[in-house]
Amino acid sequence: MSISFGEIQTGHSFPPVVQSYAQQAIDHYALASLDMNPVHTNEEWAARAKVFGIPETVGHGMMTMSTLASVVTRAWGVIGKGGGSIRFIDAKFTKPVKVGETVTATGKVKQKRYYGPGKNWVQVAVEARDSTGNLIGLAEVGYNLPD
Amino acid sequence: MPVPNRLDRYVETEKQRHFSRDFMTGWEAYETWDEAAVGQSGLAQRTFEITEEDILDYNQACGETDPLMIDPAFARKHSPTGELLQHPIFVTTIAFYSLGEKGIGTWIRTPGARNPQQRIEIIERFRYGEIISTTITTADKFTQRGKPYLQMLLDFRNERNVLKARWWCSLILPETRADVARFANA
Repeated sequence: MSISFGEIQTGHSFPPVVQSYAQQAIDHYALASLDMNPVHTNEEWAARAKVFGIPETVGHGMMTMSTLASVVTRAWGVIGKGGGSIRFIDAKFTKPVKVGETVTATGKVKQKRYYGPGKNWVQVAVEARDSTGNLIGLAEVGYNLPD
Repeated sequence: MPVPNRLDRYVETEKQRHFSRDFMTGWEAYETWDEAAVGQSGLAQRTFEITEEDILDYNQACGETDPLMIDPAFARKHSPTGELLQHPIFVTTIAFYSLGEKGIGTWIRTPGARNPQQRIEIIERFRYGEIISTTITTADKFTQRGKPYLQMLLDFRNERNVLKARWWCSLILPETRADVARFANA
């Protein structure tokens, strides 16, 4: 589906993205990103070091950032059918994601930014929560849309 | 400290086969918070050649299902670039591969680090075969509520010096090498 800047409205919501943070998913992300910090991959070390005050591995912040970005790119495309594309993502992480969690990320168009034909973009506010509803991360995503 | 063998099952790419996976080996050479100087700049240890397998594996690890991101044959026919479309956070892989184990920015590998916030700007899509060089600049260093924050700006440029992406990478770090040692030896 092709989305244009003209037709999109502030408040437009995106379908949620649900991502497993089972150890297998974290392990796969560790290899793919080459971030092999033991806090993500080594249960014994994580139990001793308690980096976040908990004796468990946690998901990567960059994995959460990927989940946040996917809210927009799965709906509109990494490159949209009409030529849209993501221009930035600014993310904050509010709570570690414990191994075994399921994260749900949602988003809404917060602002339309009028920079002129071919340069207009929208600002999408995205947030991610764990299975108990705790906020674990939030982001602003900028996405160029065709006029 | 050995990396669990179970990770071997996820090895898919040439870079993963040769990458130093044990972040505890050589931690003594990582840059630390107290040593980092704002404004200091340098090139990352390695360049990164963009390949289809790197992009495919990152997209799959993010749980993507769009054939434009995970089906190379489909992407060759239908993608606007004729290539797999990379996830916007793919720069993470480029950074961890390129920064290596010694010198500026290696604090990204620090045991005991915590991730508070990140900003990534995409300027141009990466294309297969591009050779990406990463310039690292220590951008900010501060304490907030007693926690030591360090930020670097990573500029990713191709072999024609075209800026492709920028990443403002921030971590909360153990403050000194002795503090890092407490985590490394945990």
